[in-house]
Amino acid sequence: MNKKSKYFIGITIFLISSVLILIVYLNMNESIDKKELNEKKAFLKVTALPDLAISTEAMYIRHRTLSDTFSLLKESPELREYFPSTYTYSHSHILNNTPSKVLNEK
Amino acid sequence: MKSKINLYLIEFAINSLLRQKFKNIFILMVLIFLTSLLASIFFISNSIKHELNSTLRTLPQITIQKLKAGRHYDMNLSDVDEILNIAGVSDAIPRVWGYYYFANMGTNFSIIGIDEFENQYKQTLVKATKTNDFTKALDENSMIVGEGVKKALEENYYKEYFNFIKPDGTFKKVNIGGVFKASTNLESNDTILLPKQIALEIFGMEEDKITDIVVKVANPEEIPTVASKIQIIFPDARVITNKDLEISYQNIFDYKSGIFLALFVVSIFTFFIIVYDKASGMSSEEKREIGVLKALGWKIEDVLKEKFYESFIISFLGYIIGILTALSFVYIFNAPLLNNIFTGYSELKTDFELPFIIDYNTLFLIFFLTVPIYIASTIIPSWRSATIETDKVLR
Repeated sequence: MNKKSKYFIGITIFLISSVLILIVYLNMNESIDKKELNEKKAFLKVTALPDLAISTEAMYIRHRTLSDTFSLLKESPELREYFPSTYTYSHSHILNNTPSKVLNEK
Repeated sequence: MKSKINLYLIEFAINSLLRQKFKNIFILMVLIFLTSLLASIFFISNSIKHELNSTLRTLPQITIQKLKAGRHYDMNLSDVDEILNIAGVSDAIPRVWGYYYFANMGTNFSIIGIDEFENQYKQTLVKATKTNDFTKALDENSMIVGEGVKKALEENYYKEYFNFIKPDGTFKKVNIGGVFKASTNLESNDTILLPKQIALEIFGMEEDKITDIVVKVANPEEIPTVASKIQIIFPDARVITNKDLEISYQNIFDYKSGIFLALFVVSIFTFFIIVYDKASGMSSEEKREIGVLKALGWKIEDVLKEKFYESFIISFLGYIIGILTALSFVYIFNAPLLNNIFTGYSELKTDFELPFIIDYNTLFLIFFLTVPIYIASTIIPSWRSATIETDKVLR
């Protein structure tokens, strides 16, 4: 075996073992432990509402599983198209919001 | 022994890789990037799924919501008694909950009203909140808020109390009595928990109205039967069982990670085509190399073995480094940038501390999407040039 293959085998072993070490480390420190799980369960027992608080603007995500039947239509990321809001055309972006009276007086 | 790994061939493969350093380093980089991106997406979605599923059992078995003209509608408090009469139902709890739009930040808070703020819920509340002094939290005119809400209110100078704007335009002042623990952040970040009376007042609902009813069924086997009985009593209601919730979760995450799987499939095929194209249009130099090796007495089998080692070394290194990057990116650095895909543009961002869960399926899936494909894409063209007669290649 020459130097290069020794290096290669060394690097491979190092990488594999570091993946394993990382997995063990994460398992010990980052996974949900029993105490945390009990706290979560206690919270959910009180509120009895499902779903995670990862997005709060759109109602279909927060308590999406219980949300309004139609909120999904207008807000969902997998937006089901409904005429004509989002289909192929939108309102003019050069539309002037200033009243014409104001423009004319200038 | 024939099947023994030939160290000399490995050595040759390493040397041959190093001879075309830049090309191979580039391929390695692309592989690392692809695997780590895909693995990160799967890790994030797996963790969220794990978080949801680990608490799924705690949720009520059946939720009943009234629909009128396809929209949510308030139920009557008296409906609860009818449900309690059904055999198999161990408990039915009326709930008042909804969203409160906080215009200053442009966010929705989830407001949850609770009836027995003191008696039934006290023990569980102690577990779920940071507040040690419960006299303050259980004070009649106070609320327990999630960390995100607390932060949002503080930014708007509401340190001790908050003024809710009622539907009629008047204010309702409620004190902040406590904060939920950080460990429940993924669930409680935007939540405000307060006595039911105040919730009704904020929503402008009448005293005998409720938002929905949650039902507990003693025997899990009976859930479908009880659900169908409820449906008969309330034909206008939406009866949601915990099985439905589970399916809904599955759909959300299948959808989000599905998009990325689709993107990845496109990119892996692009990658595959580039590699295949490059290798099948093997440079005359490489063809010559194979020709020389064959002239020196190498069998086709040996050439293919050497090519196999070559591609295996590259793709396996790419895979391992990719997984390593993804693990540390998602669980140690909490997936900056990528988590936005899953959280959206929310103002009330959670800290996004994802629980670690090792999912072997994902690791295998990514392995089989990268390593064998890459190996195939290098072996097939070299097999083609290895089978051409030696003198033709050399000439």
